[in-house]
Amino acid sequence: MPSDTALTVRNLKTYFYNNNRCNKAVNGVSFSIRRGKTLCIVGESGCGKSVTASSIMQLLPELSRIEEGNIVYHAKTGDVHIERLERNSDEMRSLRGAEIAMIFQDPMTALNPAYTIGFQIGETLKYHTAMSASEIRTRSLELLRDMGISLPEQRIDEYPHQYSGGMRQRAMIAMAMACNPKILIADEPTTALDVTIQAQIFELMDNLKVEYKTAIMLITHDMGVVAELADEVAVMYMGNIVESGTVDDVLRRPQHPYTQALLDSIPVLGRGKQQKIKAISGSTPDAYDRPVGCQFAPRCEKATIACNEMPLDTSITTSHTVRCWHPRDGAP
Amino acid sequence: MLTYIIRRILILIPMLFGISFLVYLGLEFTPGDAVSHMIPPDLANQVSAEKLEAIRESLGLNKSFLHRYWSWLSHAVRGDFGHSISGGVSISKIVLDRLPATLELSAAALIISTILGIMLGTYSALHKGTYTDSGLTAVGMLGVSIPEFFFGLVAILIFALKLGWLPVGGRLMPGMESWIDHLPNIILPALVLSLMMTAGVMRYSRSSMLDALNKEFVKTARAKGMPEWRVNFLHGFRVALTPVVVIIGFRLPTLIGGSVIIEEVFQWPGVGAEFIQAVRGQDYPLVMMIALFSVFAMLMASLIVDVLTAWIDPRVRLGEE
Repeated sequence: MPSDTALTVRNLKTYFYNNNRCNKAVNGVSFSIRRGKTLCIVGESGCGKSVTASSIMQLLPELSRIEEGNIVYHAKTGDVHIERLERNSDEMRSLRGAEIAMIFQDPMTALNPAYTIGFQIGETLKYHTAMSASEIRTRSLELLRDMGISLPEQRIDEYPHQYSGGMRQRAMIAMAMACNPKILIADEPTTALDVTIQAQIFELMDNLKVEYKTAIMLITHDMGVVAELADEVAVMYMGNIVESGTVDDVLRRPQHPYTQALLDSIPVLGRGKQQKIKAISGSTPDAYDRPVGCQFAPRCEKATIACNEMPLDTSITTSHTVRCWHPRDGAP
Repeated sequence: MLTYIIRRILILIPMLFGISFLVYLGLEFTPGDAVSHMIPPDLANQVSAEKLEAIRESLGLNKSFLHRYWSWLSHAVRGDFGHSISGGVSISKIVLDRLPATLELSAAALIISTILGIMLGTYSALHKGTYTDSGLTAVGMLGVSIPEFFFGLVAILIFALKLGWLPVGGRLMPGMESWIDHLPNIILPALVLSLMMTAGVMRYSRSSMLDALNKEFVKTARAKGMPEWRVNFLHGFRVALTPVVVIIGFRLPTLIGGSVIIEEVFQWPGVGAEFIQAVRGQDYPLVMMIALFSVFAMLMASLIVDVLTAWIDPRVRLGEE
């Protein structure tokens, strides 16, 4: 295990139960996150990106559980098997917020409207450090300033509704970074923000990666974001990682038909309004009634009889893996 | 904030005028008048029509509607609410005598229902889907749907008559000195009066709490690694409280209205019991006074709700357009 790996997920399976039916939301996912690197998980809605993140944090909703696999956090003091911890056990809570922090999609709803920003940042510190009230305030001010919020002395006592969207997300990040976590999980952190603010938030996250060597797991469905921020990419479809590799591998030499289709469906500036955008035919299958074998097969142009069986992860290069019977560069 | 409260209180004045007119008009349209209620039915044919007319004339009941309203109003604004037609006692004195009893009962019921309702509702929400939760929900449904006077009668039957634990009714008995002495008297009426509101507050806090616990910020709080009780109370309960406070505030007048019937059932000597007699006897000065008092309580309650909401929820700012 390389020493800069912060978290390893191996063959993770998280299932949801509903009216005696089972949704295999995450069905055998493996990846690792490295210090000072950003792993982007891409995929359309419902593919299991957020469930993967919630599994790592043990923040899954009721009626869902981790069935199989390992989530190993490589702490300084030794490895911690997160999947073995109780959801709200002391060990799990001491990891959450302190070692692994998470920011959410919509900063509007993710901040409590009843408390000041300062109070909400302070909460993290209060539970994981032995700081006094005045130390907490000093640290919160410092965090707000670091996250680029002007007039932090004034802003710290304001409520979320007095912040703009971009500032709220900055405050969320300040809250997440309060205890210098080793891992930051960002679940579509900019979907609710406009494009110029998006760029600022990403710049901020990129700085954190360089400055604090934080391992970042960024969940997104935006290929543009991937190109800009990712070091490594994992493409998810229906609960599986279908392709993973460095950002160059995946964006320049996509192997899986789904990755290719995703990339083909992005309009490119400068090609004019008549450019053909290839939509992916068909629609995502019902999560409770999944196809047999390769999940993408029913929508895939290259599908053959072989696809009725789930393909195995195949290495294209040392860094590049694909799960397909018919990758672009030849048979596995 | 202060200017807002002052403005709201000033708006009360024209509203009270308008409502007093409507109540007076309502009394005008009810059949009969105070005099026809003064004469016992079996004596009605022994009293001559001239005699009745003379009584009406002396009480000023023969003047036109507007004339009478104006005369009532001009006295009322000077603080003179007149005398009871049937008893001849000054209205202010009646109300001052009776008001403490009503306020005592309403306050007791309010405290019981607020504490019990919020506690049970929150418990229910935190134990969603358990038998306790379903049981409380069923009891809550019963509480909201069965009228209070029925509960009152059943409670008297069981606790006062059958078991003999508590007195049947009344407030102060000879020999009662401190408030502890008459505590047993208030238990039954206060519990019965609070029952419907407890059930309402309970159901409301349950859904409000469930709603709050489903919010994203509760997940954020969990992601910070806080203990579950702190997540539930600091983040869930705190936010769930705002709508519950609004509901409790708006139930305040209902509590006073509801006590009209409960006071009658338990022979509680409050404004409510007096009100029923006044309406029966078409004792218009008394009806006017009590009706205006209730309206005033209602309007004040809505003001209190606004101020409390602004205090609890930082997003609400009073008096801003």
